[in-house]
Amino acid sequence: MLLRRFDLHKPETLPALFDLLDRHGEEASVLAGGTELLIALKARVLHYPHLISLKAIAGLADIVDAGDCISIGALATHDAIARHPLVCRYLPGYAALSDNIANIRVRCAGTLGGNLCFAEPHADPPAMLAALGARLRLQSATGSRECAMADFIHGDFETDRQPGEILTAILVPKPVSGHRAAYRCYGASHRPVAGGAAAITMDEAGKCSAAAFWIGAVCGRPVALEQAALGVIGMDRAEIAQALPALIAPEIEALEASDDNHGAGDYKRHLAQTMLLRAAQAANTVAA
Amino acid sequence: MTQPAAQIRRDSAEKVTGEARFVTDIALPGMLHARLLRSTMPHARITGIDAAAALDMPGVVAVLTGADFAGLKHEWGLFLRDRPLIAIDRVRYVGEPVAVVVAEDEYSAEEALDAIVVDYDPLPHVTDAEAALAPDAPLVHETMETLKDFYFKGEAKPLPGTNIFQNYRYECGDVDAAFAAADHVFEDAYDFPMVFHYAMEPHCVVAEYSVREGFTLHSCAQSPSAVQKVLHAIFGTPLSKIRVIVPYVGGGFGGKASVKLDPLAAGIAWKLQRPVRLCLSVAESMLTCRRLNARVHLRSAVAKDGTLLAKAVRVVMNGGAYADTGPAVAIKAANRAIGPYRIPNLRLEAQAVYTNTVPGAAFRSIGGPQAVWATESQMDTIAEALELDPLELRRRNLLRRGETVRPDLRSIDVEMAEALGEVSKALPHRPGEARGFAVAASDPGIMPIGSAMVRLGIDGSITVMANSVEIGQGVRAVLAKLAAEALNQPIAAVDVAETDTLTAPFDWGTGASRSTVIMGCAVQEAAADAGRKLLAMAATTYEVPESECRLVEGGVLVRNQHHTFRDLFHRYFGIDSGDVSGIGSITPQYRNGAFLQAPLFWETAAAGCSISVDEDTGEILVKDYVSAADVGRVINRLAAEGQDEGAAMQGLGHSLFEELLYEDGQPVNASMIDYHVPLIDESPAHFETILIENGDGPGPGGARGMGEGAILPVAPAIANALAAGHGVRIKHLPLTPEKVWRSLRAAKAGL
Repeated sequence: MLLRRFDLHKPETLPALFDLLDRHGEEASVLAGGTELLIALKARVLHYPHLISLKAIAGLADIVDAGDCISIGALATHDAIARHPLVCRYLPGYAALSDNIANIRVRCAGTLGGNLCFAEPHADPPAMLAALGARLRLQSATGSRECAMADFIHGDFETDRQPGEILTAILVPKPVSGHRAAYRCYGASHRPVAGGAAAITMDEAGKCSAAAFWIGAVCGRPVALEQAALGVIGMDRAEIAQALPALIAPEIEALEASDDNHGAGDYKRHLAQTMLLRAAQAANTVAA
Repeated sequence: MTQPAAQIRRDSAEKVTGEARFVTDIALPGMLHARLLRSTMPHARITGIDAAAALDMPGVVAVLTGADFAGLKHEWGLFLRDRPLIAIDRVRYVGEPVAVVVAEDEYSAEEALDAIVVDYDPLPHVTDAEAALAPDAPLVHETMETLKDFYFKGEAKPLPGTNIFQNYRYECGDVDAAFAAADHVFEDAYDFPMVFHYAMEPHCVVAEYSVREGFTLHSCAQSPSAVQKVLHAIFGTPLSKIRVIVPYVGGGFGGKASVKLDPLAAGIAWKLQRPVRLCLSVAESMLTCRRLNARVHLRSAVAKDGTLLAKAVRVVMNGGAYADTGPAVAIKAANRAIGPYRIPNLRLEAQAVYTNTVPGAAFRSIGGPQAVWATESQMDTIAEALELDPLELRRRNLLRRGETVRPDLRSIDVEMAEALGEVSKALPHRPGEARGFAVAASDPGIMPIGSAMVRLGIDGSITVMANSVEIGQGVRAVLAKLAAEALNQPIAAVDVAETDTLTAPFDWGTGASRSTVIMGCAVQEAAADAGRKLLAMAATTYEVPESECRLVEGGVLVRNQHHTFRDLFHRYFGIDSGDVSGIGSITPQYRNGAFLQAPLFWETAAAGCSISVDEDTGEILVKDYVSAADVGRVINRLAAEGQDEGAAMQGLGHSLFEELLYEDGQPVNASMIDYHVPLIDESPAHFETILIENGDGPGPGGARGMGEGAILPVAPAIANALAAGHGVRIKHLPLTPEKVWRSLRAAKAGL
């Protein structure tokens, strides 16, 4: 099908953007990389008389060292993130994820902000960013606020972003000593059917002091395996490797996975388990 | 021009630079744009169409429905006259065109589609072939009018009062006695999915009509003369006033063969008397045609030593809502299930049935992948049971050159063991990887009818006029080379004109691996005809016997004296102008009837692959793939290897990923977002094509047709590797990760 007619706006400043958002309300959508929105528009699943492009607003794609965290501009493309020296240095697990999203065309056009705000459940970044403890900066005409990645996605295509707000930056904490994170996913057609993100911090005594295990793409929103993450605290690496399959089993079993074209629920849960264990294995090794 | 540059296909250069012109690039003065409203119902009566609101929308010129064509003999078909120009009173599948919006631009036409209201009265529907065979199944068509020898030889054998539109049977030897006496009997059923062609260029036609000039269609048709024939039948327009021009085509694979979108585009132009462009999206092409999915039942009688004694084949094919070329597909599926083996007793049965799904159609080796999937999977099952090496079992049964697949068909014209031997030698044996093999023999349904013209101008430039369609396979490069060779001129001197029924003679169509052989011979004959005329002119002009003249680059050599064409033409015609043309025609009588017996040649394939399997995800990775084809002679190596690689990669799709799915009569993944064709990172890490050249084919220099064979062995070779290395035998394509995972899990649980 063909795109329906729309007006394209290209504000150059945030105030101009907020003015447009206010003026057009539900008639408008923000346009970032367009890799998901344009497909939905062409399929006529969505229609907006007004599209407001963010591309002319300076600074929204910047990736900077913000002290205790790396600030990734919402408009940074997956490819730019994967190659950025700060990301490669501080967040190597995320750089690897970013370098493996979909295909090269999507990575060069698609933005992290667009990915998070569109909230298509078959996405890689949310689970990993949640495991990394990322926070999202949302701005509106009246000010700015932060929202934890863990709380941002409510369900399929639904987020915490309010009308009049845009996501401007993703703040990812720099890892503390002994922290290591990894992500593994599986899926056909360049979309994950299941993803597993694991972040493990070991103290100087070689015991686990913090852990986060997240499953992405299986449910409408990333899901934390909270009991498993608590269960590994105090374990050494060998104990974690030994105990993890049994520790995650109950929470994997409880995942709400539906039968659809991506696979039956039991297969998706099995993939989630497999990917989480593979991610945990990678995170549970001494950095090279 | 230097040799290396001359070897580059001219169409390749045009395509990479963006100069190549496709139908979608054509814009005619006053051209309107049409978009189709498609049925949302699998089976229903149309009780009303309200287009008033659509007609009021900006830019909309007309909304056409079945009522607009009521005065025509509008039902058409190739085997059965079962298909309306556009739905009239009834729809038979989701996606069937119900109304056309014609507007000044494409966007306005698209907008107006939503404003049309269609009222349906639903009818019971059936989407599964086995269900359509049930006695109480809803009938998709109440009447079946067959067309004999219309465009394909012979006639379909429908069973009126059922959904069966083709019912084919063949038997030789004493099958029952052979089964009764056999040491072993193997019985299996294999399923092959409904798959989409996915040509990169969707279906597209620009049509014009006037009473004085008749029709001119710029079409992506693979069979321009079939389009002429069907338009002639519908509109009564003389063939001489139905012109079909085919520019470059962005892939077809059978999905643009026979006749598809052209009658409707022509009908719109006929009704409005204005040029109209009808270009589909890929998703719409998915609702236009697809391969016939099939269940293949096999029974094989086998002796202790592995000798095949008898085979009974029963194929049930889902033909969709309209028969199209399904009747031919069913016959070929039965034939191609035999395999290149010595089997004295055969019983072949094939049925194609109507269902409320997208019409089935020809697709690269019609019926072949469905049949070979079954036969070559079962060969490995037999080998395993008899504790024989699968290659050894095949060697014991493979046909030698001159033996027959079926006594009424031409004996096989290649040495099958040669190709299989080359493949097994070339396929690496790596630790941790499982290997599988498969072979295939198919009988291309080639009508030996095609003519070409070759013109040589005073400057030595040559034009080939032939109605083979350049669909990406490189036919124009092949024909240019053959014309150049026959006239002893450089390839750079030759242009192959765009396909145009007004200027080039009849050709049956581009498909069934026929163009290099049929049109290749026709071009050789046409060039030879022109060559003879040139030598006769030289003999007259220079007053020598013809035997002392021969063609050389740029002219003629007469008793060691070089004369340019310009010199010859000037002297012969008396002015510095003129040209010489030759015509060449291939008919069933060609070479004293040698082209009459079917098949004209056997298209065979052998392949081997090695795979690795992630048993946790079920994902199969094809690591190495070796494909061999006995092509007789290679005319353009790059193009020939490309055809072989392309066919195998296309086969990877139905082997591992592709399947059009239906739920409640609705196609649920008919878009390129949800339908998974193989991507480059899913192609084998190592791919090798082996082209065997013994100069023994019927085509130019001993060439055979090619381009379809390599799709045949892919799926069984992979499934055989999976069974050999991982102990699971899956009989239902595609081998999706989930399916493989479930099979492995069941095997481990001892189920």
